[in-house]
Amino acid sequence: MHWRRGIPRHRSELHEVRSAAWLGLGLGVTFGTCFLTGVWSHLAQDPPAWFTYPARPAGLYRITQGLHVASGMAAIPLLLAKLWVVHPRFVEWPPARSVLHAVERLALVPLVGGGLFQLLSGTLNVARWYPWSFFFPRAHFWVAWITIGALVVHVGAKAAAAQDAVRRQPRAAGVARAATDDRRAFLGGIAATSVGLVVATTGGTAAALSPVSVLAQRRPGVGPQGFPVNKSAAAARVTELARDPTYRLVVEGAVDRRLELSLDDLRALPLREARLPIACVEGWSASARWRGVAVRELLAHAGAATDAEATVESLQPGGRYRTAYLNAGQASDRDTLLAVELDGEPLHIDHGFPVRLIGPNRPGVLQTKWVSKLVVH
Amino acid sequence: MRAKRALPETTSRRGLLIGLALGLPIIGYGLRGAIVDAADTHPSELARWVIGTALAHDLVLVPVAAAIALLVHRFTPGPAWPPVRTGLAATGVLALVGWPFVRGYGDDPTNPSVLPRNYGAGLAAAVGVVWLAVAAWVTWRCIRARTTAGSLAPDE
Repeated sequence: MHWRRGIPRHRSELHEVRSAAWLGLGLGVTFGTCFLTGVWSHLAQDPPAWFTYPARPAGLYRITQGLHVASGMAAIPLLLAKLWVVHPRFVEWPPARSVLHAVERLALVPLVGGGLFQLLSGTLNVARWYPWSFFFPRAHFWVAWITIGALVVHVGAKAAAAQDAVRRQPRAAGVARAATDDRRAFLGGIAATSVGLVVATTGGTAAALSPVSVLAQRRPGVGPQGFPVNKSAAAARVTELARDPTYRLVVEGAVDRRLELSLDDLRALPLREARLPIACVEGWSASARWRGVAVRELLAHAGAATDAEATVESLQPGGRYRTAYLNAGQASDRDTLLAVELDGEPLHIDHGFPVRLIGPNRPGVLQTKWVSKLVVH
Repeated sequence: MRAKRALPETTSRRGLLIGLALGLPIIGYGLRGAIVDAADTHPSELARWVIGTALAHDLVLVPVAAAIALLVHRFTPGPAWPPVRTGLAATGVLALVGWPFVRGYGDDPTNPSVLPRNYGAGLAAAVGVVWLAVAAWVTWRCIRARTTAGSLAPDE
């Protein structure tokens, strides 16, 4: 029988339109999800002038970024399988039958190169390995647009054939039962691999999966005060500055009264408690009970306008995330805190001692640690 | 007939033209962004990575995977092949994704919460689970093949 004798490549029944169509559908969903959640994350980190990033719901970014990383992981087996199935078409001769065909094939370069690069670079970011000199978020963002543009071209070209292939009854179309069996086993196996890979990698955000999530980059409960850390004080070269007894939190800018508060001054203010997640762009997240001064209380104390915006600065000597921005909605949210406690204890230095920013619906890199200054606009 | 031969059977001419009209501006937006943002994106290095990833896939990953599949296929009885093939694919994917974790390239000695697991043992366990599932699937297929004689016949 053919499927038994045939080599598992070019002649195989796997290389039919139906397999390619189902895998394409899966890739459309996973890459579509990655793109939308990725653009959302970009809007959170670099909001353009026309966009106001919302302060609520508090756990939204945790969900969108968790989805982003999980769909990327799910897409890995799908993309490799899809390229395997359509491989004979890559090596067909002549390479192009017409100018239009050449254009169609040319558009596969950004699609395949971009798609593979996005999954590779995303995975390496999750593993925190950066064997390149470019800034990952920017490169990943712009290649995403290139890849999605190429995907639009590809979907336009293939949508009709794919729809036809998915709807057609293979048995009725005279396809051998063994071939149908083989294709179902192949697609089922790839789908199971996708699910398995998601389970193996998402334990850093879905705590219930943590025991079996053998490739998760974090473990809930592991870290100072039982809570994971993105960047340690040592790595941020801030240890001495943060432990300096002359530490003062400064509130300045568009205020009636410039404030300069010691840690004891801050603790003497009315403190508020909020349960909020740290949701890292790398896909891990965890919730904790934070206690601190609400930014809006501090701004009111300094006599800032009720719709004031603020830049939060860190003691860190450098780094892209030394400062973070609070729009009016974020600055006035009751749970946007300058926290001094985590789960009832003073902050560990790796969690931002003496004072850190924590607010609802924010990417982890914007939850500035070792806060030294609030500049009001 | 000439128009039909100018494109593969699975390509819709009209769909492709619509796709190009919508997709090319999006590609252009991404290219422009990557170039305008050159200080962060390092365009020539980024281009090498994008093209290099595709070449590594086509020239290394596919031939290696094909060679392994061909070899294992030769020694695998027919009904067992679909589960074994899945096992090979899943093992390959787990090994590829797991590699940077096992090697610990991104580890930070100042931060014990980074990469806190024994990833080598985890990867081995995951691969073990895959092959247990493959064994169960093979058993099920053999039983099914025996009880419903002829169900694996090539053509009805």
